[in-house]
Amino acid sequence: MTTKSENVLPMTSRERVLAALQRKPVDRTPCCNPTSLATVELMDLVDAPFPQANREPEMMARLAETGHTELGFDTIMPVFSIIQESSALGCKIQWEQKDNWPTVRMREPIYLEPEDIKIPSDFLTHQDTRCVLETIRILRRRFGNEVAIIGKTMGPWSLAYHCFGVEPFLLLSLDDPGRTMLCLDKLKKATIEFGVAQIEAGADALTLPDHATGDLVSGEYYERFLKDLHTEFVERIPIPLILHICGRTVDRMGFIAQTGMAAFHYDSKNKPKESMDAVKDGIALVGNINNPETLFSKGTEEVREEVTQNLEAGVQLIGPECAIPLQTSIENLKEIPITVKNWHEHHAA
Amino acid sequence: MPEISDIENEFIRDEIEEFIERPNEIERTVSTFAKARPEMQTIAAALIDGDNHTVDQLTRKALDSGIEALEVMDYGLISGMGIVGIKFRENFIFVPEVLACARAMKAGMTHIEPILSASGIEPVGTVVMGTVKGDLHDIGKNLCIMMLRGAGFVVHDLGVDTSFDEFMEAVEENEARLMGMSALLTTTMPYMGTTIEAFIDEDIRDDVKIMVGGAPVTQEFADDMGADGYGKDALACVELAKSLLEEAARDTGL
Repeated sequence: MTTKSENVLPMTSRERVLAALQRKPVDRTPCCNPTSLATVELMDLVDAPFPQANREPEMMARLAETGHTELGFDTIMPVFSIIQESSALGCKIQWEQKDNWPTVRMREPIYLEPEDIKIPSDFLTHQDTRCVLETIRILRRRFGNEVAIIGKTMGPWSLAYHCFGVEPFLLLSLDDPGRTMLCLDKLKKATIEFGVAQIEAGADALTLPDHATGDLVSGEYYERFLKDLHTEFVERIPIPLILHICGRTVDRMGFIAQTGMAAFHYDSKNKPKESMDAVKDGIALVGNINNPETLFSKGTEEVREEVTQNLEAGVQLIGPECAIPLQTSIENLKEIPITVKNWHEHHAA
Repeated sequence: MPEISDIENEFIRDEIEEFIERPNEIERTVSTFAKARPEMQTIAAALIDGDNHTVDQLTRKALDSGIEALEVMDYGLISGMGIVGIKFRENFIFVPEVLACARAMKAGMTHIEPILSASGIEPVGTVVMGTVKGDLHDIGKNLCIMMLRGAGFVVHDLGVDTSFDEFMEAVEENEARLMGMSALLTTTMPYMGTTIEAFIDEDIRDDVKIMVGGAPVTQEFADDMGADGYGKDALACVELAKSLLEEAARDTGL
């Protein structure tokens, strides 16, 4: 169950987030965005449009901070996409325009065999990794200890999708599990290096997306290929880690809770109560307001309902289930912190 | 009525008993395999096992021995994929296993397709398929295409990152009465609606039935976007395509 808010002195956003990630008492449940809150409306508001806001630190910082200054979240997350490391590894990127995220051209893989994997010597100084590091430094200078700054380092399973292509990598996992493990073992270096660099730049926590989703692979796959690696990340990236996996994941939440990660960012395909039961207080949950149907297509009343369901289930940090559609309305996003605050006021009364 | 004991292949019998629960699907699958000759059952078993080399060899051997290409496709490959689709839908297997089965099906189809093309058999229907603009994900779409082709549809695959102009052009050029759009990203899903609106603006919306799918897509979203149907997976896509085609025929009184 969530920790009670009685007798807890008022906290800053940063204190609130860090306490919740450790499942310690909080003055109220924090609103957290482990993925992207960027919208076209917010880009216009601060003149920081895509694709530039994915590549230029000042624009990235300006757009990211709107999550706190305009929407009222307790976190700032500057990495809006999942392509920064893959770009630095050499993948071709389709940068897109203001109305879409950049995407890796997975049909043009850069690796065919595990032996091809090499982390370039300029991995941390490449424009797209350097941009994230510089943005975190800017945000830390600008917000001091007031707001939690969350970085992002991609897990090796996701990086393998980008570098080998999803289909070839999934077939390899079936044809040759040993060589699959070799791929993951080689790619984990990128995850660790980029994660540690973000800690040095000033990040308070890191999202670690590793898309072993129930839409693609089984829970048994997670245990076999990723559980130990994720446990290793907890030891080698010394900061609260928020694992992000989209889709249906209840069948693997028990394994995820055993890794030592601070939190799991979960999808609306899993109900709050069943998810809390599945993790058995072994890990905090972040989520899981539905993106396409609720935040994008519906109104504040439906957002309120979903936020309340999460609060009542004891979910420790509230936020959208994943990176939000770029055309999502600001009103719907603002409704998340408004509902959280109202809920706590109502319960305190 | 055929019984499961009428199926000679033990692997197929076990698969039906272990993985198929719905009575109508058990009846249909048993009936199909009871009619299939043992060689076809063996091909289906290899396909379900994801063994592309064996499917390749057995398909070639069956065709060389004089068995009709259509029979090999229907009773060896498609019937095997039918069981694969059910196992996937029920979460007994996941995408890697389905990809291996698809690879095996492709190995068999390589021998069959040229024969069928040359024979001039009338297709069930023509479908235009593509992943919407801004989206480069295509695994689900490719599985749907494979199943549709297996079910006798001619499919024009527009690939990924497809604009509404390209969809319109392909539908008109191929006189397709059915179109499928796929999206994996929540940012690109709304483009399904944009495309449908473009068809309305050009006054050609009634000429084509539009189905949509993709991991984050739901029936509710499909309805909101104005699609004619939503398919949860490749198996559902084939059923949906058949029913939309019947609907289109009814609409035009054909």
